[in-house]
Amino acid sequence: MDKFILNIIHRPELVPEYIEKTAASGKTEDVSRQEVISESLDIFKLQQKIAHDCGFKTTIQMTYSSLLDEQAVNLVKHDSEKYGDEIGMTFIGLTCKDFRERFKTKEIAIWLFSMEDKKKITDFMFSRFKQAFGFYPRSIGAYYLDAELVSYIKHKYPEVHCAVATCWEEGPKAYRNANNSWYTFLDGGPFNPWIPSKSNIHCPAVDESDDIGIVAIPHLSRDLLAVFDGPGSFFGTHPQNIMRGLVYKGEKIPYLYNLIDQYKSLKQYNKGYSYNMIFVGPGWMSKSGRWEAPYELLVKNYENCMAYYADLKKKNEIEDKTMSEFALWFREHKPYKEPCCALWKDILFGSEKQLFWYVDPYFRVAIDMNQGGAIVDLRPYAAKLERPVGVGTKHIQDASYPYIIQSFYRAGFFTHYAGEGAIKSCTIEYNGEEVDLCTCRTQAHFKEKNGLRILSLNDVEIEFKDLTIKVASQFELCEGSGEIIITRKITEISDPGASLIINEYLTGCYGTTEYPEDLTGVVLSGTSRGNKKKKEIKYAYKCREQVIADVDTVQAVIPQIASKLTLFPVDTTAEGYFREGYAFSPMFTIGLKKSCKYKEEYRSCLRVEKED
Amino acid sequence: MPQGRKGRLNYRCPICFAREIDMDLFYDQAEDEYYCIRCPYIDTEKEILELNEKNKFRYKSGFIRIRDF
Repeated sequence: MDKFILNIIHRPELVPEYIEKTAASGKTEDVSRQEVISESLDIFKLQQKIAHDCGFKTTIQMTYSSLLDEQAVNLVKHDSEKYGDEIGMTFIGLTCKDFRERFKTKEIAIWLFSMEDKKKITDFMFSRFKQAFGFYPRSIGAYYLDAELVSYIKHKYPEVHCAVATCWEEGPKAYRNANNSWYTFLDGGPFNPWIPSKSNIHCPAVDESDDIGIVAIPHLSRDLLAVFDGPGSFFGTHPQNIMRGLVYKGEKIPYLYNLIDQYKSLKQYNKGYSYNMIFVGPGWMSKSGRWEAPYELLVKNYENCMAYYADLKKKNEIEDKTMSEFALWFREHKPYKEPCCALWKDILFGSEKQLFWYVDPYFRVAIDMNQGGAIVDLRPYAAKLERPVGVGTKHIQDASYPYIIQSFYRAGFFTHYAGEGAIKSCTIEYNGEEVDLCTCRTQAHFKEKNGLRILSLNDVEIEFKDLTIKVASQFELCEGSGEIIITRKITEISDPGASLIINEYLTGCYGTTEYPEDLTGVVLSGTSRGNKKKKEIKYAYKCREQVIADVDTVQAVIPQIASKLTLFPVDTTAEGYFREGYAFSPMFTIGLKKSCKYKEEYRSCLRVEKED
Repeated sequence: MPQGRKGRLNYRCPICFAREIDMDLFYDQAEDEYYCIRCPYIDTEKEILELNEKNKFRYKSGFIRIRDF
């Protein structure tokens, strides 16, 4: 396969969010005035024209207000007939005078309503859509669509089979970037399209029985390195992102082209398939300018962006599809358990940093080569957590999928003076000295073999006081297993007779934000290989530790997120240990220690499972 | 002092931008200066634009084409 698929999605917002905000507060005149509608429609028309002139068809997602506007409906019908555009519907841009009066609210986010209100709004919009077009939409969208609402929609409107369902890593970072006022807590999902689980929209479905019935796509294709540690709205395939992040010089936007090219390159990790999407409303192309940029520059940037896609199309290097066309293609070509991978490199900050991303129905994991191959993000999809959101639920705004490791939120290797941070890494010990591989920057190479995604890291050199070694690391991610097998090998050594201790450890916790959650109730345990004797610590912040000489497994069970982590040696013996933290270090650690010599391999496995 | 208003474009505070917070600046017509209501930043349009350029310092490869993927 050699496929780079593009979705271009436009939405006619008659009352762009930036105007609606002040109107809803009663601070400005009636936003339903004709000049606002005309300007918004003009911008939408221009975006459509730019895409069509470049030879692309689009998916038009009708907003609430545009469904009520005859001019917008007729315009969209025309474009659909003439250019083959798909007409879909979005829950973005809900608010307008009619919405506020009909539903008696200023709420803007569909996922934050009560389930009862979500259903009412959905039914009203689907009904208006059918009145306008004579059929139900095949594709829908929002910044976030919870599994409960998607299940309702799919049951009642089975025609729907594609949805913009999350914004990748829009969570606490996006909230802070927006002066703590943008309530999109949506961290923890896949970065490329997937078929969601019925239990949680973030989790890929494991099989047909778990399939929610739609193909989900993330809102924008984002920089998988910059956005992991920065605002999502600065670094994605939307010219506004590039403007907002100030990643441009005059009219030149090479970063956007690099971003598109890197997404194109993800074919090499995904059996020849890669994907890109761009989803824009009219608000960012306002005639009064946006993000310090005048209207003319905003338009030019969109033209340049589309021209770049058009160049790729001329060379047969990209194929534009509408959302529902893409969904059909995806279902035909992508089995449930096939992982989505990216060995992503820095294209912004001038470093050689690489992050490897892996997503399948069992977990999402990020491996950081800048920290010697440490796991810096781990989301236990195997748990398939049911976490309804919106008014009347336990989590209300917090739609993020919980992590066990998020090293940038929860310290990772570097902490200030005390305690531990969340990370999966390895230390090498010799004669009382200890070096963590987190301090050894390296680069990785990818290959796929027999259902394994194999990440091989370049050797790193470690200097002890009187010994120098080189260590190789390899990660094997086993499709459909929830397991990662890690191999360490001492490939060079200044004293071939020396023996070292390799300590594979995972320091974890759970949460969705930068702040700690209560670990009381977490159970750490280990079992010995021979007599199967079990030791256990029930987490109580008492700084306790247990050691098992000849270990079978060490485990951490986190009932709060129905998850179980298991570490065990593969085809070898090891000493196991587990450790609880304390209030200033709210973490747990499970680990395996093994004595190793030159050329010996040490293999261990990390398994992620649901704990009922 | 007169009421602060939005300026010609939605200029953001360069100091807040440097810490990845988007704060629109307000404009004081009498003083012909922009100011931030979150941090103590005050400056003219010209200096805002200069600081915006300086704020690009971390994008060491953000303005070049990369061909090797």
